[in-house]
Amino acid sequence: MLNISDLLEQIKQNPYREIVVRTPHTGVVNFADIKQGQAVHGPEGQWKERSGTRLATLTRERNPKPIYAPEKGVVDKVYSEYENAFVENATPLVTIRHHLTREEVENIILREALHLFRAPERAKYYFTPEIDAKMKSSDPGSVVIRDGQELFIMSRMKRELPLYYSGPEGVIYAIYFKPSDNVDADAPLIGVCPQEELPNIKEVIMRVQTEWQEN
Amino acid sequence: MDNLFLKRIQSLRDRLSYMQDIFAGKHADSVSLLLQKLDEFTEKVNNDSLTNPYDELVALEDLFKYVEARLDASITPLDKVRIVRHPQRICLRDILENVYDNFTEVGGQDEHSIDPSMVIARAVIIRRRGKKRYTQSVMVIGQEKGHGAEFRNGGSVKPWGNAKARQFMRVAETEGIPVHTYIFTPGSFPIEDYPGAAQQIARNIYCMAGLRVPVVSVISEGGSGGAEAIGLADKRLMLSNGYYSVISPEGAAAIEGHCRGGERPSQELVEKCACNLKLTAEDNLRFGYIDKIIQEPPLGARSYHFDFFRQLRQEILLATDEVVLSAKLSPFKKIGVSHRNKPGVNLDEMYMRWSLTQSAKTRLVKKRQNKFLKLSREAAVDKRPFLTKALHTLDDLVMTPVNEFKYEFYRKHQRKIHAFLEEAENEWDVFRSWLRKPFGKQEEQKVKEAVSSELTSLSTWSDGQRHKRWNYLSPRYKIDQAVTCPNAEIYGCPDLWGPDLFAEFAGVCSNCGHHFPMEPEWYVRNVFDVGTVMEFNEEIEAGNPLEYPNFDKTIRAAQEKTGCKSGCMTFEARIDNIKVVVAMLMGTFRGGSFGAAEGYKFVEAAQRATKNRYPFIAYVHGTAGIRIQEGTNGVIQMPRCTIAVHRYIENGGLYMVLYDTNSFAGPVASFLGCSPYQFAIRSSNIGFAGPGVIKSTTGMDVPPHYHSCYKAMDRGHIQGIWDRRQMRHNLIQALQTIGGRNLYYR
Amino acid sequence: MENPRTELSGHRVLVGNRGEIAIRIMQACLKLGVAFTAIYTPEDKESTHVSFAREHGGEHGLYMVSSYHDANELMAVADVSGCTAVHPGYGFFAEDFRFARRVVKRDRKMIFLGPSWKIIRELGDKINTKRLARSLGVPTVPGSDRPIYDEMEAENIAEDVFDFQLQQGIDHPLVLIKASAGGGGMGIEEVDDIDQFRSVYRRVRNYAARQFKDEGVLIEQRVTDFNHLEVQIIGDRSGKNQVHFGTRNCSIQSTGRQKRLEVAPGFDPSVNEYNFDANKVLDAITQYSLTMAREVGYDSVGTWEWIVTRQGAPFLMEVNTRIQVENGVSASIARVKGQAGVDLIAEQIRTGLGEPLGYTQQDIEFEGFALEYRLIAEAPENNFTPWVGTIDRFRWKEHPWLSVHTQVPKSPYNIPTEFDPNLALAIVWGKDLGELKERGLVFLKELELQGHNAAGEPMKNNIAFLMEKTPQILKF
Repeated sequence: MLNISDLLEQIKQNPYREIVVRTPHTGVVNFADIKQGQAVHGPEGQWKERSGTRLATLTRERNPKPIYAPEKGVVDKVYSEYENAFVENATPLVTIRHHLTREEVENIILREALHLFRAPERAKYYFTPEIDAKMKSSDPGSVVIRDGQELFIMSRMKRELPLYYSGPEGVIYAIYFKPSDNVDADAPLIGVCPQEELPNIKEVIMRVQTEWQEN
Repeated sequence: MDNLFLKRIQSLRDRLSYMQDIFAGKHADSVSLLLQKLDEFTEKVNNDSLTNPYDELVALEDLFKYVEARLDASITPLDKVRIVRHPQRICLRDILENVYDNFTEVGGQDEHSIDPSMVIARAVIIRRRGKKRYTQSVMVIGQEKGHGAEFRNGGSVKPWGNAKARQFMRVAETEGIPVHTYIFTPGSFPIEDYPGAAQQIARNIYCMAGLRVPVVSVISEGGSGGAEAIGLADKRLMLSNGYYSVISPEGAAAIEGHCRGGERPSQELVEKCACNLKLTAEDNLRFGYIDKIIQEPPLGARSYHFDFFRQLRQEILLATDEVVLSAKLSPFKKIGVSHRNKPGVNLDEMYMRWSLTQSAKTRLVKKRQNKFLKLSREAAVDKRPFLTKALHTLDDLVMTPVNEFKYEFYRKHQRKIHAFLEEAENEWDVFRSWLRKPFGKQEEQKVKEAVSSELTSLSTWSDGQRHKRWNYLSPRYKIDQAVTCPNAEIYGCPDLWGPDLFAEFAGVCSNCGHHFPMEPEWYVRNVFDVGTVMEFNEEIEAGNPLEYPNFDKTIRAAQEKTGCKSGCMTFEARIDNIKVVVAMLMGTFRGGSFGAAEGYKFVEAAQRATKNRYPFIAYVHGTAGIRIQEGTNGVIQMPRCTIAVHRYIENGGLYMVLYDTNSFAGPVASFLGCSPYQFAIRSSNIGFAGPGVIKSTTGMDVPPHYHSCYKAMDRGHIQGIWDRRQMRHNLIQALQTIGGRNLYYR
Repeated sequence: MENPRTELSGHRVLVGNRGEIAIRIMQACLKLGVAFTAIYTPEDKESTHVSFAREHGGEHGLYMVSSYHDANELMAVADVSGCTAVHPGYGFFAEDFRFARRVVKRDRKMIFLGPSWKIIRELGDKINTKRLARSLGVPTVPGSDRPIYDEMEAENIAEDVFDFQLQQGIDHPLVLIKASAGGGGMGIEEVDDIDQFRSVYRRVRNYAARQFKDEGVLIEQRVTDFNHLEVQIIGDRSGKNQVHFGTRNCSIQSTGRQKRLEVAPGFDPSVNEYNFDANKVLDAITQYSLTMAREVGYDSVGTWEWIVTRQGAPFLMEVNTRIQVENGVSASIARVKGQAGVDLIAEQIRTGLGEPLGYTQQDIEFEGFALEYRLIAEAPENNFTPWVGTIDRFRWKEHPWLSVHTQVPKSPYNIPTEFDPNLALAIVWGKDLGELKERGLVFLKELELQGHNAAGEPMKNNIAFLMEKTPQILKF
């Protein structure tokens, strides 16, 4: 059985995550008025409809694109040497020290508690249309899958292949991939929880909710 | 002290706090004087040191009366807004109890109602002639503010509340009893759930435009669309301290002061806007949008003003009688009206029947429609030369009967002739094929040879324009610039190149299909047959009827920017050779706001379509709503244009609405939303109030894409969503299938 | 004429592609004395095309971008590095007329190293191409050459196509129904029975209306037993000098119709037997291709794709308005003014930048035979499924008759998963077909290609498949 207290303690030792904000493509960078030590926020609102703090503007082909902070945190470093310079794709602009949120901690602990089904190879993954429809129409954590079920479509090198789930029967409790992004081999795709263990998982979440202080 | 005595003191306290509220800090000396006197008096009461309590109380009451009367003269428009919203203000239930002799509330008991903000009641009035008593029934419909009771939602009616109102207007029509509506609303509640705020108001207005019973309405708080939902009446009375406006002064000030996200405009700005909006009863009487002002007691009618209720009853009876009389062809009509308008007449003792014959009902409706159609013309700037106007009138006189002959008589008989000819042709074909039979074999052989060469050699193809060129390209195509699709985050759309996007792609993202807004010209030139667009009435210009400060300049700037004189372009055109009349609301002209000039042109266009028997298309490139700087001159376009559309449709016309970009508020809640066929261009938004307005009026956060056309279709507000590039094709298809063979008129 | 090289030296070419073609373009630039700028994405950082650019590109020689598919990235890099021309390679933007148009129409104009955008657009449209061919008497697949919208008409044509095939002695006639606005194999269905036609037609039509917003369909004969041939054309910017560089036979393909082995020239009647006069057919398709190239004023490299039936009837399939993967086999057997070492990519760049071709058809001769192997990490026995993993060892023995193009470095290499799985191209030359096959097998036998995947399984590749196919080349 998982020792939640130990895990939590471990996380509490270093409750931060460093986020490096990089350019999504080439262009000329102009930083917003941000300084080291300044607090920034990520997208806000009930539907995350308000964007985060603007960190910089990246202009490419006369199209200025704002770059926002993805999460709440404190600016650790601004790469101001790039001010007004043309930079390549994936150039670091700002690093943010982000205090883990309750949800993130939950996720870290759940990764230990859930059965993880991992990507067999580096590829893009999608749910099969039936599963996708089910996921969209039902509550999170209620879609049950069985061993050997066709669950994913794996897409790489312009070819698509079905991928079958192997592992205990249970509900899809967590999803760790985005359909548009490549997933590395062995990275987890989903976290599955056998139905009889759902109460335990709920307990994990309760524990995190009571013990993790957000600031 | 007895209870009644204490009650009277309490009543004075209420009057004082009311005074404090409505003046919001103004007239502090008067208020503190009264407060001091009242406190002294109460002190004495408590000490039992009054020598002559009743006399002193009366003296104090007189003082109150005196101060109230004095202050009444200095009431500002914003004070009136506060009066109307005050919990002590009379509400509909007060009226039901005090003006009518008896009533039964329909579909509501306090908070148990589909919408407690809308109260419906069957009420009776008992009148006498000599010894005989006559009971007259009316349908009373109105918003209930309930002296501030929370469940009444301040009289802000939800869509289903308005639907209930419409339902019982129809009931009244069936029963043949007059409708009395009482308008106590700051505006309708801006939610889109079915039947939808805007769409339901539109249905209500459309219904009232043709309601075949007398309608009298009384306005206390006339908040724009919410007021119009039950406001299209034969006679509109207004309480002297009421307001009737396109928008609340706070709302106007928020726009004027460019306030964003919960920011509040300054009090001075609100006060200024309240004045500029010309929302008082006097203003509206001057414009002709109400028929009469009912004088209230000083500082506004409250529940204990029983004289006022008696007066209101007389006015209501008079108005209803007058409406009924006006529809009758009675020789005593004139006498009846003047008789009733004599001072000191008690209408309770002058019974007259309120039922009407079928022909009188038709006259009633026509009269109501004409009355509204005539309104607000002076509020637009008509620069058409005199000759044009004269010709227009002449043309009307001549062509109306000509067309009537053409369509009513000739068309009917033409069909019979056609049917005969068709039959004859069929017979001839049969005969001919019999004649040619012996030569059949030879032809078959020839056909075979032709086949193999047809499969391998070049065929003729007249329609070989594979790379269709648009007739009009957005000027933005000339700018070498990348453009980010708003859906890039969700669908991963790469940045588009402006010259591709705004020319070949017709403003459509090649990845996700998002439609970027295009210029109105794009539609005019790419949807209709080339060279067939003929604009009319372009000389009717948007003006500044309220003389709103600095607004002349703003309008001139918009005219220069767009090259148009108003936000509505009306034209005749052909599409696949089908003649149509189009009214286009242009989002580029002051956000597509709709005022008197636009309404004028829209009504004229509808009438032109009626006269010529053409389909009538309202293409809404975009509209932000009624132009607030025109005040009620703008609001009145809601019933006006709906009436024009009502007449057109009832005459058998095909009226289609097509929304693009953003269409909100008044126009959607009236003459657009009432169309049975409403379509939308992809990526458009349709609704009653924008997210900002919803947030500021209701405090609710609005989910993203709340007003998107797909959501609008999910809710049943629109009938289809079109790709811009297919608009011409879809329009032709719609005209052919909805209009049928006899396209324009049923 | 003065030294043309000085004119070229002011240019800088943006290499808008990856992998081996990027390397070949850079090599050609070096040969011509033209500067270049290469691009790469994070997935490709191990690729040799990146190290090559770093080594030879100098300042502004290499930029990391987010995607090869994002034209804005290419334009931004071209501007900042001062490029004057863009070479699209193959795939990506090679046949995108909008990209070509943007390159030449933007405020800072550049040269698109490919045909003019109007030609790309015209020949990129299959109906247009078919009609152009027919107007010039060039044979095309029997069937309609314009979109059909009417069900009755469609059915009549389908009946005719069935009858036509029966007249030709085809036992099992087939009819293809294609969405006329479609492409890339989408919206195509086959019918072998006229009674099924209507329902299939409606399905395709509805699909086309949904997918392409155009209900038009094409109805054609489905040709089953054929060889896939190509004619290599090049023209200069005058639009008047078009020459051909012979034919290729690309009939050895994967089950998904992807080429695996190409041979030049297209047939060899001296060794193999055909049911037709092979030289006459090769001649005919060459002349037909040139006729069309002249008609449109073709001004770059391009390939006319043909199918030739067992009876020797050629039908034009499509025109590829780009440099092709297999251009090297044609170059390998070509001699210009007696000289070997022809480089069609260099010719494309040189003429694209404005130099005249400088030779005529009379100056071009052909010598011997050449083939190209496409080495791919895949499992031919399992439906050519791509294999994903790490290449540990990739070695071959150098020969004077062999050239290998690859982006795979000597060090262990993770095969990126988002692109075509091509690893390397090997071009082999022989004086006759016998020697060619022999040398081909020698190369394959000497080849070392090993790797492993995440599960530790050994690499799968198509060497055995290529070995098995080598004896078959140029046999119908």
